[in-house]
Amino acid sequence: MGIGFRKAFSSLGILLLSAVIAVGCTSKGSGESEATGTNSASPNASEAAASAQPGGTIRIGIMEEADTLDIHKSVMNLPSQIGIQIGGALLSLNPATNELEPFLADSYTVSEDGKTLTFKIREGVAFHDGTPLTAQSFKDTFERIMNPETGATTAASFLRGVKSVSAPDDRTFVIEMETPSATLLTNLTDMPFLQPLSMSAIEAAGADYGRNPVGVGPWKFDKWVPGQSILLSRNDAYNWGPSFYERKGKAYPDQVEYKFFTDMQTMMAALDTGSIDIAYKVDTSDAKRYRDNPNYTLVEADMQGLGLFIEMNLENETLKDVQVRKAINKAINKDAIIQAVLNGEGSPAYGPLPSTIFGYDPEVEKYGYSYDANGAAQMLESSGWKKNSGGIMEKDGKPLQLELAITNQDSQAAQMVQAMLKEIGIELKIQVWDQATLLQKVSQGEYDMNFLIYGYNDPDILYNFFHSSQIGGLNHVRVRNSDLDKLLAEGGATLDQEKRKQIYAKIQNIIVDEAYWAPIYVPKVIHVANNKIQNVKLQKSTLLLDLYDSWVKPK
Amino acid sequence: MISFVLNRFVSGCIVILGLTVLSFLLVHLVPGDPVQVMLGIHATPERMEELRSQLGLDKPLWTQYVRYLSDLLHGDLGTSIKTGRPVLVEIADRFPETAKLAVSALVIAIVIGILTGTLAARFKGSFIDALFTGFATLGVSIPSFWLGILLVMLFSVTLKWFPIANGTGFRDMILPALTLGVVASTLISRLTRNGMVDALSNDYIRTARAKGLEERTILFRHALRNVLIPVVTVIGLQLASLIGGTVIIEQVFNWPGLGTMAIGSILSRDFPLIQGTILFMGVVYVVINTIVDILYHAIDPRVEFGAKVAS
Repeated sequence: MGIGFRKAFSSLGILLLSAVIAVGCTSKGSGESEATGTNSASPNASEAAASAQPGGTIRIGIMEEADTLDIHKSVMNLPSQIGIQIGGALLSLNPATNELEPFLADSYTVSEDGKTLTFKIREGVAFHDGTPLTAQSFKDTFERIMNPETGATTAASFLRGVKSVSAPDDRTFVIEMETPSATLLTNLTDMPFLQPLSMSAIEAAGADYGRNPVGVGPWKFDKWVPGQSILLSRNDAYNWGPSFYERKGKAYPDQVEYKFFTDMQTMMAALDTGSIDIAYKVDTSDAKRYRDNPNYTLVEADMQGLGLFIEMNLENETLKDVQVRKAINKAINKDAIIQAVLNGEGSPAYGPLPSTIFGYDPEVEKYGYSYDANGAAQMLESSGWKKNSGGIMEKDGKPLQLELAITNQDSQAAQMVQAMLKEIGIELKIQVWDQATLLQKVSQGEYDMNFLIYGYNDPDILYNFFHSSQIGGLNHVRVRNSDLDKLLAEGGATLDQEKRKQIYAKIQNIIVDEAYWAPIYVPKVIHVANNKIQNVKLQKSTLLLDLYDSWVKPK
Repeated sequence: MISFVLNRFVSGCIVILGLTVLSFLLVHLVPGDPVQVMLGIHATPERMEELRSQLGLDKPLWTQYVRYLSDLLHGDLGTSIKTGRPVLVEIADRFPETAKLAVSALVIAIVIGILTGTLAARFKGSFIDALFTGFATLGVSIPSFWLGILLVMLFSVTLKWFPIANGTGFRDMILPALTLGVVASTLISRLTRNGMVDALSNDYIRTARAKGLEERTILFRHALRNVLIPVVTVIGLQLASLIGGTVIIEQVFNWPGLGTMAIGSILSRDFPLIQGTILFMGVVYVVINTIVDILYHAIDPRVEFGAKVAS
């Protein structure tokens, strides 16, 4: 697909200082990263089943109310979380082996040219409304996604490159591609966004479908009390779980309830008093208290994306010099910022990708920039800068002054960076903007440096940040690097996962070597679970809670 | 009387018309392109155009306002950007919870306010008077959200007597209603006390005492009646401000009313929902005020309607 699509696509992944994380796009290799919490090891049903008991309710507190449970139309996180519980997918990704495995499709074949994918749909699967699952269900659902009128931005991005879908018979589902896609097969494992929907349910509910969703998952939608909660109840007919679970049958708890909160402290108080069993995405400042408490378990992983990084405008006279950009990278003490801003609940970022995204190259930790103030100052000196009497670097009589554009949420980190750069003789002015203005200015190149955050789960996001065609969009640093352009285009079209990995390793190397960004940290996504709920896991590819094997300890 | 009611009704309508101007202009007062603000900077041009024409923002300002008014008259408050549901439906989902909480708080406020006010007046100058008056002064100065947090800490977290975020049943309502009620009771209490002190010094009270009437009858039958007129006015206004005041308290107690929805809509920049909620709350406020105004004149026989209207 063309650039236009990419631009639209990019709107998903980028969030500036927003709590929402765009999730869903799975990638085969993401399982290799350590998306594990204290008790979120790879599914091991036999271990869990030994003492697992049916019954009870899991109550989860979350800091948002869903917009709509029509997964094609939602732009929030909770509908995805609920989506993996009420839905299923054609294929599944075994978290232990990272292999694609059957799920709602018994088997599949890919044509020689990589453009025709044929799936055999499993028999005996039914939607919660009783409608049997057929190839037609997938055809209708995918066509609904691809119809621009639906507005299924996220789901449609997962089907990028799909030309058409067809259902020659009840059990055969065919996808025709325009060009072979690196990500489509793994995208098809995405339970929230590419789950089959019951067209009869959509027709019956009309405009109210978003409040009456129907799927094929282990839980079914029960009720939504506005402002309060969404209740799911167990689908007793469920016996078509992904093949990597040893157990295929129904889930253990009778119900799962999501309770909406508007105040984080109220949510934590609800966890303390037992009104909820799991607090979904807690503040890092609250995490430590529960980490030290034997009655709770932290289910956590690094965020998919970067929590904070600096972009540097290559059209700025001073920042054109790679030595200055490298010096800025070396001057930043990432650990100190993580301690101060995240209470230590995060990992330093050395490259443009976090360890939780496919293609992350661990080598980056070795060749990336670590804190070295002296080295940074020397770099500036080697580039002709000299400290003046005021301790500020100067070149041809001009002091080294730069401006850092931020929104006020990041002022603490900004002040720390300001002090760190001062150490090496760079005078940093902090400019606070509101979110919209900041993004507008940086996409037009009217800035020196700025703070940004992104959330995504495929390395293809780097195309948006660094491809020369994206200047004016997300290529805020305004880089035109033909080698990089070529690699970024290749990365998006390479089917072979090993090759794709190597391409992204090169890309990361170039980006770090050229120091276009100064990556700072990857925060943790932390959920706190009361130990009365056993076996709470994270789905590695989406970082959503996987409750299929979870059970409630009887009192 | 009829002309007075008509007068209040007309001035109520004028205030509401002013409200519509304010809520209409809200979108236009936001710096920058409102559609951009609503959808975020990376929205596709198509989606922005769609929303722009959906909201009518591509038309001249006065045309937009006329359209806005005409939609309002047809009961159309717009569509929430976040949920895609009509704003009126969203409000209808939440308002009953807010009303329930506000009315319960008012009942608590009336009971506490009148009881403490009356007792303080009866034992004027005593320890009880000092206690209740001090309590009332304290209550006026305490921010309700702070009191709410304290009550949660004590009764929910420490003592575990009341659940948090457990629904909207009777037991769930006690703490938030108490928080709002206690704070609102202080004004009622002070007014009652001052009125009662005046009333109790009247000759007819002395006569009643001389007749040997029971103290309770004297206090609540004879004296309180004369104090009620200003108190009732304040109670009406309290109800209006309670409905607005629940915004913060709903937040503290995770109460699923209009307040939490309003804050949520502000955070998600859901302009039609913000506009609708502001307008709705404003209208409720005006309506209650108008009713109180009319009631005030109805229960106080001394008020001459003609004279009032003229002034």
